[in-house]
Amino acid sequence: MQKNLIRCFLLVAYCFGCMASARAAMVQIQVQDEHGKALPDAVVFLESREAKQLAKPLQGSEMAQAGRQFVPSVLIVTTGTAVSFPNRDTVRHHVYSFSPAKKFELKLFAGTPANPVVFDKSGIAVLGCNIHDNMAAWVVVVDTPFFARTDSLGLAGLSDVPAGSYRLRVWHSRLPVGAPAADQALTVGSTPGNATVRLTGLTP
Amino acid sequence: MTLYWPPSQWGLTSRIVALSLLLLLLVQAAVFSVVRTSIEQSAQRQVTQELQVGERVWRRLLDQNAQTLSQGAALLAADYGFREAVNSQDDDTIRSVLENHGARIGATVTALLDTNMALRAVGEGQNQAQIMPLLTRLGSNNAQQVQGGQVALVGRTPYQFVLVPLKAPVTVGWVLMGFPINQKLLDDMRALSDMHLALISQAPGASSEIVSSTLPADALQGLTSLDTTIRELPVPGDVLLARTVKLDAGSFGNVRILLFRSVNEVVAPFRQAQVALAWITALGVVMFAVGSVFAARRVTTPLRSLVSAAEIMGRGRYDVPMEFTDRKDEIGGLAQAFDTMRLNIGAQQDQIRQLAYWDRLTGLPNRAQFREAVQAHMLKFAQDSSGGADKSMAVIMLDMDRFKHVNDVLGYSFGDQLLIAVAKRLTEREMRSGDMVARLGGDEFAVILAGSDAATAVAVAQRIAKSFEVPMALEDQNVDMSASMGIACYPQHAQEVDALLSRAEVAMYAAKARTTLMQVYDPSLDSASAQTLSMLTELRQAVAQGELRLFLQPKIALATNAVVAAEALVRWQHPERGLVPPLDFIPFAEQTGFVRELTNWVFRETASLFNSLDSGSPNLRVAINLSTRDLLDVEFPARLDAMLAEFHVPPEAFCLEITESAIMDDPQRAQNTLHILSKRGFKLSIDDFGTGYSSLAYLKSLPVDELKIDKSFVMNMESDEDDAKIVRSTIDLAHNLGLTVVAEGVENALIWDKLKALECDEAQGYFMSKPIPAHEFSAWAQAWNARHQASA
Repeated sequence: MQKNLIRCFLLVAYCFGCMASARAAMVQIQVQDEHGKALPDAVVFLESREAKQLAKPLQGSEMAQAGRQFVPSVLIVTTGTAVSFPNRDTVRHHVYSFSPAKKFELKLFAGTPANPVVFDKSGIAVLGCNIHDNMAAWVVVVDTPFFARTDSLGLAGLSDVPAGSYRLRVWHSRLPVGAPAADQALTVGSTPGNATVRLTGLTP
Repeated sequence: MTLYWPPSQWGLTSRIVALSLLLLLLVQAAVFSVVRTSIEQSAQRQVTQELQVGERVWRRLLDQNAQTLSQGAALLAADYGFREAVNSQDDDTIRSVLENHGARIGATVTALLDTNMALRAVGEGQNQAQIMPLLTRLGSNNAQQVQGGQVALVGRTPYQFVLVPLKAPVTVGWVLMGFPINQKLLDDMRALSDMHLALISQAPGASSEIVSSTLPADALQGLTSLDTTIRELPVPGDVLLARTVKLDAGSFGNVRILLFRSVNEVVAPFRQAQVALAWITALGVVMFAVGSVFAARRVTTPLRSLVSAAEIMGRGRYDVPMEFTDRKDEIGGLAQAFDTMRLNIGAQQDQIRQLAYWDRLTGLPNRAQFREAVQAHMLKFAQDSSGGADKSMAVIMLDMDRFKHVNDVLGYSFGDQLLIAVAKRLTEREMRSGDMVARLGGDEFAVILAGSDAATAVAVAQRIAKSFEVPMALEDQNVDMSASMGIACYPQHAQEVDALLSRAEVAMYAAKARTTLMQVYDPSLDSASAQTLSMLTELRQAVAQGELRLFLQPKIALATNAVVAAEALVRWQHPERGLVPPLDFIPFAEQTGFVRELTNWVFRETASLFNSLDSGSPNLRVAINLSTRDLLDVEFPARLDAMLAEFHVPPEAFCLEITESAIMDDPQRAQNTLHILSKRGFKLSIDDFGTGYSSLAYLKSLPVDELKIDKSFVMNMESDEDDAKIVRSTIDLAHNLGLTVVAEGVENALIWDKLKALECDEAQGYFMSKPIPAHEFSAWAQAWNARHQASA
């Protein structure tokens, strides 16, 4: 969590730095549900061929289990990122994923497992715990470095996005299982832009 | 008083018993009807309640089934292998797992649906087509609703379905499990709740039909209407109350369960209680009846005893003690009161008997007891069939002579002592068994001599008479007593007690009249006998038909030889018997009272003749004998008055002669009558003077003018010096008292002379003349006067 914060600060500092150059722009995305209400915790990312080439595996991503919950409940990584699964509980967990994006099974371990899991394919993996049925988490694997999660106001800011044509993708865990992320075109110019996405088909 | 005893006695008992039983039965009937009503109401209520409970149990059963099903489905959904198979699309494995898990909990339908409720797989060996219609309808339904259990029809069988999400870990599909609501479930329900059930299904657009039921076949036949309004189902010998429970099958058709509860089964324990109550009632009635009878008997038995005791008392027996006097209750009190009454009445009875049967003065049996004793002897003789000679009995009736005189002179107290002495003297004689001495009253005593005839009785009477010869010494006085006795014998003289006593009495009076001491009864003595009756009739006839004759016996003044008076005498000229002697009818007339007729006749005859009589001297007096009965007749003076007036005769023409004994029978009344007659002017004379016992003091108080010396003295005076002295002293006495003296029985000249010498006033007797017929009197007087006046 602390690392994430630090990363955020770094990102923000980076964005402000980019704003100085004429080639990069700041994009702010507003995500709403079908009733127009702000939707927090939605995953927003921009895809393009150029962006895919820019994407690199992330370092130090982890999906911890604490208080019999996955932390965080939604983790966004780039393709090829190795995610560690530290167990901070005193009980054992049996983490599994039947998702096509990444199938794995970490049986009944306690403490930190030796090998992190590498998510080598973009997509969404639903994680569960065979011991605790109520534990669920999602790992969103994207082929782009431009991704963000909406805050409590349903806003997500993407900085230093080079100008060009992108596919704006929005996903939320309340979308039906196996449903792809919402997809719409977005053109990013040299000036900061805004976009609003209304997500439909959410389960309650 | 008539006692209608047995019914009334039974009546009291039965009334008590009937009343008790009636009350008991009323109470029992009320209890019974209340119990019956409350049982019916309570049974209805209980059945209704049981049906409501049954519905809850049924729903609970379904809920439990749904839970079991849910748990099974959830278990399946959570199975890692199953989830892995689902994710790996391994359909064979999926079907196998579905079938396996369904079989574990008895679900006959297990299916896997995807998140859009589309069928992905059904359990191995299950008919996929069967549930397809269900799925179509399920698809339109909210899965949440089905999750808790949903009843739906598969074909015509109702199923209970559950839908459980398959999570990996988010919902990736649904596990559907279905459980048939079948006979087994109904049987379970029946085992749980004693209820019958009928499961009715109605597919959309089809008619209702019974899917399964626990009802027996005959009851099922009665279930013709499957309407929802069915309330009860009559079956042979019972009624099943029904309750319809609709199962929410939504659009999957109509499923109802009918709950039936047998009223009989609910009522059965009450019926048992009712039967028990009936038994208790019957037992209670019997016990109550027995108890009431016993209690009533405890009252009526003593009452009956008291009544019979009272009846015994009513028959005069007082020696039977009462029962139940030792009881402490009211009955005991009543019995004690009865017993006290019995003793008191008994004592009084004894006293009354004593008074009734005993003479208090002498201690001898009284007339009543004497009479009963005589009767008892007669009865014994009558019943004794052996012809013994002892079947006879004599009764001596005894009357003291002159007792009244003793009483008058010496006082009643002395008289009483005399009676006691007489009683003692009578009982001193040796008595045989059956003999009895009794005081009949006054100075009258009687003796029974059982087994005696007249001769024996006479001997006994003589002994009694002898015992009276000894004077009785009382209070320093010697009293000479004599008694007159009459004897009557059974069966010669009378066969009946009163007749026997009356005949003894007649004999006794005869003895007294004749001064013969004793007299055996003879029918001639009895004024009531047939002979007497005929005699009486004849006498009446004699008066009426003029058979009586008036005779006159002259009285001559001794000094002057003048015919100064005559005694009137009656003679009976009987047409067949000729002249009847006076002794043959005068005593009889005195006994029967006919003597008054005779006196009347004599007086009347004399009065009618008087004025035609010529004695040759002035102031002729005719003497007429009066009897006791005349003296006691209060109308006698008036009758004489009437006759004197009729024939114009002065009373001085008559001298009324009364014997001493006639006066002494009732001195007071005789004296009264004599005074009356004397005042009228009649001359009064004491007849037969010297034979009676009258005292001079008494004579002095009588208004008499003349003494007539008894002929027994006069006739003997010539030979007996004593009699001569009596005659002389009587003449002196009479003259001293201012009375004239008449001597009768003058039969010869010697006596005539002596009397003349003694200065007797008048003489009467055969020497001068026997009684002569009245019509010859004047002629005789003329002849006498001619003879003597010539000589004088």
